Parts: sequence; C-alpha cells; structure tokens
Amino acid sequence: MRRLAPAALAAAILALAVYPILGTGYGTRSVLQVFMWIALAGSWNIISGLTGYVSFGHVAFFGAGAYTAGILIASVGWSWPAAALAGGGAAALLALGIGGPCLRLKGPYFAIAMLGLNEVLRALVSYFERLTGGGNGLSLPTLDATVPVYYAMGLTAAAVTLGARLIIGSRFGLRLMTIREDEVAAEAMGIPTFRHKLVAFLLSAIGPGIAGALTARDQGYIEPLSVFPLATTITMIVMTLFGGKGTVWGPVLGAVVLFVAQELVWARYPYVHPLLFGAIIVGVVLAMPRGVLGLLQTKYRLPRTI
Amino acid sequence: MIDVHKHFGGVRALNGVSLALERGRIYGLIGPNGSGKTTLFNCVTGIEGAEGGRVLLDGERIDGLRPWQIARRGVGRTFQVIRVFPELTALENLLVVTTGPHEAARTRARELLGFVKLEALADEYAGNLSYGQQKLVEFVRMLMRDPALILLDEPAAGVNRTLLNDLLDAVRRLRDEGKTVLLVEHDMKVVMGLCEHVFVLDHGEKIAEGPPGVIQSDERVIEAYFGR
Amino acid sequence: MNLVITPAMVGQVVISGLLSGVLYAMVALGLALIFGVMRIINVAHGPLLMLGAYTTFFLHQHLGLNPYLSVPVSMLVLFGVGVLLQRTLVFRVVDAPELSSLLLTFGISIALVNGAQLAFTSDLRAVEYLTGSWVLGPFAFSKTRVIAFVFAGGLTAAAFLFLQYTRLGKAIRATSQSREVAMVCGIDVGAIHRLTFGLASALAAAGGALIAVIVAIQPEMGQIWTFKSFLVIVLGGAGNYPGALVGGMLLGLVEQLASLFLTTQLSEVVAYVLLVLVLLVRPSGLLGGRQT
Repeated sequence: MRRLAPAALAAAILALAVYPILGTGYGTRSVLQVFMWIALAGSWNIISGLTGYVSFGHVAFFGAGAYTAGILIASVGWSWPAAALAGGGAAALLALGIGGPCLRLKGPYFAIAMLGLNEVLRALVSYFERLTGGGNGLSLPTLDATVPVYYAMGLTAAAVTLGARLIIGSRFGLRLMTIREDEVAAEAMGIPTFRHKLVAFLLSAIGPGIAGALTARDQGYIEPLSVFPLATTITMIVMTLFGGKGTVWGPVLGAVVLFVAQELVWARYPYVHPLLFGAIIVGVVLAMPRGVLGLLQTKYRLPRTI
Repeated sequence: MIDVHKHFGGVRALNGVSLALERGRIYGLIGPNGSGKTTLFNCVTGIEGAEGGRVLLDGERIDGLRPWQIARRGVGRTFQVIRVFPELTALENLLVVTTGPHEAARTRARELLGFVKLEALADEYAGNLSYGQQKLVEFVRMLMRDPALILLDEPAAGVNRTLLNDLLDAVRRLRDEGKTVLLVEHDMKVVMGLCEHVFVLDHGEKIAEGPPGVIQSDERVIEAYFGR
Repeated sequence: MNLVITPAMVGQVVISGLLSGVLYAMVALGLALIFGVMRIINVAHGPLLMLGAYTTFFLHQHLGLNPYLSVPVSMLVLFGVGVLLQRTLVFRVVDAPELSSLLLTFGISIALVNGAQLAFTSDLRAVEYLTGSWVLGPFAFSKTRVIAFVFAGGLTAAAFLFLQYTRLGKAIRATSQSREVAMVCGIDVGAIHRLTFGLASALAAAGGALIAVIVAIQPEMGQIWTFKSFLVIVLGGAGNYPGALVGGMLLGLVEQLASLFLTTQLSEVVAYVLLVLVLLVRPSGLLGGRQT
C-alpha cells in the first residue's frame, strides 16, 4: 500500500496537469475551484488545526489578496503572477497586524476576536457597498487567463499541502500542537508560544492571499461582497474538519469531497447547503472530531504526516 | 542560589514568603492544603505574577519574565496534575522541548526514556500511557533542558512504592550532579527521607524552616496540620 | 461627522446609550450564564435572539398578538429550544476541549441561521406597533426603545433576584463556581445545565422580541448580537454576572458616543477595536473575574 502512494500521487499530478488541454472549460474552472479550496482549507488547518486557535475571520486574507492584486494589476499595471505574490505578502502583513494583538489572548478569546473580525468585515463591506453602489467594483483589464491561473492555483494548492507536510513532520509542527494540547505546560517547557502562534498565523494567511489574488484575476472584477464572502470561512472550516484537522491530506480530502457534493447535489438549493454545512460541523464535532483522516489515523496507526 | 520574596496583599495566596535555596541540595516545601505551595511554584516559573515580590536566580531577577524564558534559564518543573501532551508520543513529548540539532535531541530523548525504562513505549501516544508512566514521561521531559533548578509538585502522588523509590533515587542522583531540587509533597516519609531542609507554609506564610527532624517536632507546624 | 456638538446632544446620546445598554446587558447575561456554568462559548446566542424576534413577528402577524405580550411567549418557546439543544447536542461537549464547544455552537448557529433563511426567506420583516417618541425637555426618545429599556431592566433585575435568592438560582451559581462541589452537595448538575441553557435562550429571546418592533427582522440579525454579547462579557469580566450589567452599559455608551463623532455604521468597528484593546490590557475583563 505504501509503495503505491507515491506512484498514485504522481499519476494524479500528471492527470491534473494535462486536464486543461483535454477537459472542458467548465471542468477546468471546477478543478480550479477545487485547487482554491485546497489552498484555503489547507492554510486554515495550519493555524486552527495545529494550534487549536480557531480563526473565524480567515476570509479577510482572501479579500486582502484580491484587492491588493486587483489594484496592482488595474492601476499600476503589474503582471498577474507578480500581483498574486504581492497579494500573499499583503495578506501576511494583515495577519501580522491582526495576530500581533489577538494572539496574545487565550484560545477562546482569540476565537471571539476572530468572530468579531467577521462582523467587522460584514459591516465594512456593507458600508462600502453603500458608498460605491453595487456595480462599482474594481475591473481588471480583460484577459482570458483561465488556464494559466489554473496552473498557478494548482501550484498554490500544492505549495500549501507541501508546506503542511513539512510543518507537521517537523519539531516546529509538534510545538504548534503542544499549544493545542496544553499551552501552559508548553510554555513552562520553554516553548515561546506567542512567537509560534504568530508564525503559524502568518503562514496560514499567505495561501488565501494568493488564492484571492488569482481569483480576482480569473473573475476580472472585484467588489466587496464577492471577495469577502463570509460563507467562504464556513466552507474552509467544514472542509478541514470533515477531512481531518491537523492532518496533511485531510483538507485536500475535505475540499474534494465537499466540493463535488456541493456541485452535484446542493448547488440547486442555495440555502440548503450552508444548512447542511452547519449540520456537518455539528456531526463531525460530536462523532468524528478528528475528521475522516484523523479517524483512520487512529484506527490504523497511520503516521502523523498523513 | 535562588531567592524568592513574595508579597501579596489582601486575599492572596502568598503573603511575604521568603525562601533562600543553595545549589546542590534537596529542599522540601510542605504545608496544609491551600497554603500556597503551588502558587509559589507558579510564581517562580512565571505562570503567575508575583505582585510586589522578587524571584532571583543566581542573583538575576527572573520575575516578570515569560514562563518560557524562565524555563530556558534553567528552571524545570513538573505539575501536580500531570500535564503531558496526550496526542504526542512519549518521544515527541521530550523532543518538542529542545531546539538543538535533531539527531542530538533524539539521542538524548531516547537516553532519558531509557533512564526510566520507557524506551519500548517511545512511540506510544502519551495519552495512552498509564498514570505512573505519564508521570515518568513528565519527569524526564523536564530534564531535557538540563535544568539547574528543579521544582517537583507532588512527585509521589498516586505512585506505587517501586516507582517511587526509582524516582527518589533519580532525584538524589540529580542532587549529586549539582542540581537544586525543591519539592512539594504531602507524603511525610518522602519528605523526611529525601529532603535536607524543609520549608513550611500555612495560609500563605512561611511558619517554619529547618532540617526535617526539627520541623517534625515544631509546635507551629503540628498546629498548622492538626488544627487549632 | 458632526462639527457642532451641544451639551444637549451629548446628554441625548448618553441616555440613549444607557437605554440600549440595559438591553445589551440582558442578552449578554444569558451568554455569561452559559459560559459561567458550562464553560461553553455559545456562538449560537445571536441566532436564538433572532428566533425570538421571529416568534414575536409571527404571533403578531397571525394572531394579532400585542408584541409586548408576546415577550413571555417568545421567552417560553426559546426556553424550550434551549433546553432541547442542550439535551441533544451541547451536553456532549461540556467536558470537551473548548475548541469542540466553540465549533459545535458555531455549527448550530449556521444551521439555525440558514434554517431560518429556508423557512422564513431573507425578506425583511417588521412589526409595526408603536411609533413616535416621548419628549422630555431637550431630549427625545423613541417610545419603543424606552419600553424595551423598561422590560429589559425588569427582566434583568428579575434574573439577578432569581440568581441571588432562589434555591435554583443559588444552585446555578454554585455550579458555575465549582461543578464538583455542586455535585457533592447533591445538585443535579445535568438539570442545572439544561436550565441554564434554557434560561439564557429565554433572555436572548426576550431581547429579540423587544427589538422586533425596533429593527428589521431577518435571519442574520442575531450575528452582531453574539459578538456584542461577548464584548459585554469581556468588558464586565467573564464569569462575573453583575459585570454583564456594567459591560452592557459601557458598550451602549461607547457606541452612542462613537456615533456622535463617526457614522453609526462604523459603530461595529468601534466595538471591535474596543474589544481588542480591552483584551490586550486586561485579559480577564475590566472587572476582573476568573481565569479561564
């Protein structure tokens, strides 16, 4: 079984790499979306899955990346790949600004502060909607870049997954986990917890930042409501929880399964699927707190880096 | 040498307790429940702030520092209620504490686990270990950083006789290596047999100190334990 | 942005702040109870308020019931809902790490909000009942807000009396101080948990019922209340029940004062910044309270 895994992975990567050439436009866009969700869920996992500090406001980084890239492309004339990286950078800066004060708080209070961030975003978004009106978002120069963005997003998803693999397999990752297990004891053992939380938070912001920037390029148009969709945070949380928080491939599994389910089944019923997401969260927390992969990990004594 | 002065006003756990410890000796800290022993530990290790007090380690003030900074200055502790990291393996519990080269850390961790005869369980999740095994893991985890000052909070609690003797031998060996040990304990036999000097706390104040034999027959100590 | 600020304006704003403050305090008290007794952060608190508002709306629409008479009905209904939630779902995470209860109530809140969207649609509803203001000297206060203040004040006072003097109230306070000791004293902790959750939901529902005549009713109306209730608790000190009153007043005051100098839409941003500042300076809230 172990020996099949790398070969299977290589085959999957190959298939995904040639897909845009063989597949339909709709198919390419769909896989692009899956890549985006993998990047988002995988990043959320790094802060919330490992340290236990639940970030309810992660969509802020997605939006920050989108706006940074949008402005750089539209007003300053940057190329979109450079703008995407800048988007990631901007998101990291934002994470520094928010995390600096908020991560000094204890776990539950941090979560409350992040909930507040969500509310603030909601308020700011509607405030700006009133100022700018519905149709006055930011337009990017037209460019049919779906295929290159597909590859870029795929790279981002891969980078996030690889990053997670490296972190979880390292002592740094273990130290992040001790924060989740027992922060007081961790600090008593000489672990500078604030620093660790901050680094994890910064790292977890980059993926969404880049993903937001790429999405902006792909859609060609940004407005507050479209890049700060608060449902995004819920979706990334459900995907990670379902697939397995704290694992490497959990978010990937969650992203794929839930996206497919969403497209095939629920897209027709706009309010059912968030309702179902709520129910899934409740179900996972009660029955499968470590998600599908976490469950398998315990049952079959799989390595930590699954 | 550590020197601890703590002054809290009002309804506080410690009121002007002052302890002086010398290198390479084993000290005991006893007192009835609620006398402030664990609070003292928390203040020394930075988990709680010592309002109006000073904690000096080798002449340097360490009060006001974050717990991790104090730990890195050579202060190690175990907890009254075991605090291992349950979802990390025994080995990982130890590894996580150090920052040096990976291989060296791994070797030392395995060595320490061997020291308490737990090498076979190195890859077992700490949460799955028995109470006594977890206690040992917590003990050697504290030793990973080779602390000069060791604070043990009720090491004998819930531990069977054989294990206890091993632990006590380990403590004596640490003392012989020049480390300073301060332990909180309720088991008087342990205190009398192990400690060279004992401090007695009651209601947040130090009411007596001295060699175990003297303390045993001190009137104030007897009164504190057996009522007024 | 106002450039000319008269003492009358300040006075108006201060009194408005106190009026809304008591309402905040009442709703936040519910949240504080759940946190104090069960150590659970109930993210679903706002949605419970929202359901209270909808109950009042439907009673008014279909039965013509006076919205103020429906306050006890809404409270009763949501009391039941709260007990049900506790009994079926929440009780399982009372001893779990805080992360679990946080995520659980988060999931419940999403389910409730979206369930409401499915059932009631997102159309804005309103209960037209009382309009106009009462004028007192240079001040004018909308009638609905004054009545809300009176009700909220009464309910909050009743809640405190209940906690302080009745056997059940004392049992609740005992359990929030130490569950083990409460058990040893023969208190049925499970029943106390159910009662507390029900009570907290009832308080939230009362809030919803009272604002049903003031603001537009829609499924997401409760979200900001969840956050503000947390803010109140943080201001007043977690686990410190009278602190909820102080925190509520403080929040009301700050919000209203802020709206004098900034636009009201940004009052939530102000609230947020306030939260972060308070938590940084005094992590255990302004009035102390217990360590988590």
